[in-house]
Amino acid sequence: MNPTTQQDLRDEEVVALCQQGRSEVFEILVRKYMEKAFRIAFDFTHDTEEAKDLSQEAFLRAFSRIKQFDGRSSFYTWFYRLVVNLCLDYTRRKGRVIWERLEKQTEDGAEPVELADGSSLPDEEAIAGEAKRRADKTLEAMPNKQRTAFLLRNHQGLSIPDIAKVMKTTEGTVRVYLHRAVAALRQSLVEFV
Amino acid sequence: MKVPTDTLQTACSDFEEDLVLHYYGDGSEAERNRVEAHLQECAPCRAFLEDLRKLLPRMAKPNDLPQSFWDSYYRETLEKLAALEERKFWWRNFFAPMRAWMLPALGTAAVAVLAVALIFTKGHWNFSLKQPGENIPQEILVDTNQLEFFKSMDMLEALSKLETLEGTKSETGHSHT
Repeated sequence: MNPTTQQDLRDEEVVALCQQGRSEVFEILVRKYMEKAFRIAFDFTHDTEEAKDLSQEAFLRAFSRIKQFDGRSSFYTWFYRLVVNLCLDYTRRKGRVIWERLEKQTEDGAEPVELADGSSLPDEEAIAGEAKRRADKTLEAMPNKQRTAFLLRNHQGLSIPDIAKVMKTTEGTVRVYLHRAVAALRQSLVEFV
Repeated sequence: MKVPTDTLQTACSDFEEDLVLHYYGDGSEAERNRVEAHLQECAPCRAFLEDLRKLLPRMAKPNDLPQSFWDSYYRETLEKLAALEERKFWWRNFFAPMRAWMLPALGTAAVAVLAVALIFTKGHWNFSLKQPGENIPQEILVDTNQLEFFKSMDMLEALSKLETLEGTKSETGHSHT
């Protein structure tokens, strides 16, 4: 199978090939989902190396358990669940460390932040940086389920039905989590509006 | 409709959740129409939605990472996957040098060694079987002295029966005479 044909394969076809022993095609899924997996892990960890390790661990787990994937949900829902569960385990283990990391970022105030429009005026940059740190802190203080629902919807663009599948809950519950998370963020960021 | 007096404009409680979904483009068409109609006449809800439109996209903006990061990430992940595959099938490597003909050959050799060992150690095998009573609890086992006692009791009983029989016979004899 040539590389062009491989890239055209749908997730389900790639998974089926892996289940038949063609494990080399798994790299298609790595290429396709590495950025999303890394970004969700980064949202939870705020650390590039930790995010890299966690998201790579998710790929290793998916690879090891590929034969257990029964196709009842889409591959990416199943894979997202692996990533999210790893991230939640991480936050439970290292909650204090993440909090201290955010505190340090706030004290240092050194993280360069680029605005959405690409402008780099010092005042605007500082305000945007402060807003981002405040948002991170608010997210950090949220219950895990609210934070997960918000990150998957706002940062990852998953639909509410998909988030419900990833979180193994109902769509109604996801709506409630999302609403509470957004309300909390708006409350904490009102001065930056 | 209550208009809040604090600095943060709150949306109507009945609509706040729907406004969040409306911002993300979620919810059914009927829900969207209902929210649109409400927005036409409610300033606080319009302000709430406007806040979301200003704040939330800013939060989702990812930090840009160079292409070299992703190249290295991809390479590293594939290396980890290869190492995992290696560990999973370690036994394949273990038996890899063995050719197809080697397995029956090794089996034959093993049988031959076993046969030679049996011939040369003939008569030296000591299959010491356990005595049947070895594992019986002590309480159940009968003491030898007790057996002797019961035997002597049986004998005494037999003697007394004989004496009684003898006595009966002699009494009958006297009565006849």
